[in-house]
Amino acid sequence: MVFMKRIQSIALAALLPVLVLTGCVQAPAVEISNPWVRASEYSDHVGGMTGVFFEVKNNSSETITLVGGAAEIAGMVEIHEIVMNGGEMVMQKKAGGISIEPGQTHVLEMGGDHVMLMNLNEAIVAGDVLFVTLDFEGAEDVTLTDLVAKPSDGGDETYHDENMDH
Amino acid sequence: MVSRRGFLTSTATAAASAAVGLGVGAAAATQVAANGSQTATASRALVFEGPHPMGIETPIQAVTNMVAFDILPGTTLKDMQRWMFLLTDDIRRMSSGEPVLADPAPELAIGAARFSAYVGFGPSLFRKLSIEERMPDGLIDLPGFSIDALKDEFSGGDVLIHVAADDPVVLSHGVRNLVRDSLPFATVRWNQAGFAHTPGMVPEGVTHRNLMGQVDGTANPALETDDFDDVVWVKDGPNWIKGGTLLVFRRIAMQLDTWDQLSSVGKGEVIGRDLKEGAPLTGSKESDLPDFEARSAAGLKVIPEFAHIRRASNSGEGERIFRRPFSYEMPISKEGSMDVGLLWCAYQANIEKQYLPMQLRLAELDLLNRWTLPIGSATFAIPRGVSGDEVIAEGLFS
Repeated sequence: MVFMKRIQSIALAALLPVLVLTGCVQAPAVEISNPWVRASEYSDHVGGMTGVFFEVKNNSSETITLVGGAAEIAGMVEIHEIVMNGGEMVMQKKAGGISIEPGQTHVLEMGGDHVMLMNLNEAIVAGDVLFVTLDFEGAEDVTLTDLVAKPSDGGDETYHDENMDH
Repeated sequence: MVSRRGFLTSTATAAASAAVGLGVGAAAATQVAANGSQTATASRALVFEGPHPMGIETPIQAVTNMVAFDILPGTTLKDMQRWMFLLTDDIRRMSSGEPVLADPAPELAIGAARFSAYVGFGPSLFRKLSIEERMPDGLIDLPGFSIDALKDEFSGGDVLIHVAADDPVVLSHGVRNLVRDSLPFATVRWNQAGFAHTPGMVPEGVTHRNLMGQVDGTANPALETDDFDDVVWVKDGPNWIKGGTLLVFRRIAMQLDTWDQLSSVGKGEVIGRDLKEGAPLTGSKESDLPDFEARSAAGLKVIPEFAHIRRASNSGEGERIFRRPFSYEMPISKEGSMDVGLLWCAYQANIEKQYLPMQLRLAELDLLNRWTLPIGSATFAIPRGVSGDEVIAEGLFS
């Protein structure tokens, strides 16, 4: 498997390669749609971090769990959640990952659960296209080959988990 | 009506074709499907893919916003590629009435409403990126005309994003998404909003009426004809512009206070047309060709020398353009003066050969100049349409 940061000249047709919604193709066991990675002031430098967001549907008959991932561009990939802690929204590693029952869809979104890319080896800026592999228990791993970096400043996450370096 | 190139289709069809090519996400598709009670306006979609940029060879939409950008210092060709990549995906999705990726307000994606957006590149962009040799033939900076009273805040710009739709909320949401994805690369130089008729207000094929009461665009080549192709689309040049077009944008302020003091006969003489029917003074309906030689019983030319349509008529070979002007309206002054005018857009394959000679004639002796004042001006090259996995302006920034 090749993990590489690719800038441009990526086929748009492959933007969401994990899912091809046509009547004649059987849905994959793990259906990922609308994946994107956030390009922000947190990601625009080496050592930075950012979140990956998408919708994941479990088409299999067993519970699946998103437990982690890997990306050449990131030293560490974790599944995170946002919780209220002392009246403040704080991001932290989600213990046990994200479990999805058969037939259910889980939305990873800003301000909620997400895949965190940490210790970036390269800056991620708007319009970049990345590879990230998602690690599932109960299903094959899924590689997002054309993860587009969307500019998205602000947001209400606070990135001060002491385990993170920024 | 089935158009020659199938520009108009239902949202469902557009979404389906996008799904085949793109693999539209389940949630987005569901979102559109969930709005099963979509109105006729919401469900009408224009097709993004094709040989030509969308939003030009199309009956005019209800509302528009033109946003011009200046690129950030140090912007590279690679940055331009990243920017176009984001815009291509955004426009593709919104043309089908879907939210964009990372849409902060997906609930506003309630239907396509004939959303369209195209991108244009001004001569200044080619200079800043040091790719002047890639400027298409006939893309020029307009010379200053004697009638001009141009203001910087309405003029120029490296990159244009011209958005239009049949619904103001859809338009606003679309502009918001496209501007957000542009800010890593550029700053907003100006934006100019405008409007035309509500869809269904005038029968198809009937010309838009501007706020002076004039039917505007009568001499246009008809949509979806070979004539249109000849006038508008670039035939020669590098691949990125072949099938594209060149835009002359002029913001033209109307002096309604004095215009409204004219009698309807006087207005007709200035234009050369009867305002009510839009017919030339020598005819009885809009489609009648003007007879510039006809004289009255008194021996005077029926269409006066100074008349707008006489000055604008093409005396030279190939001096034709396709006009698609929107109106604008700004706040009314304390004295009650209306600040209105046109976001005048003219498309042609070659500005130097088609628009320029015509404008030189108009600037010289067109009585309409007394009531119209060009206060903004810009030119842009609009790349050809995209299909499949292509990115807008692919090849230009490589």
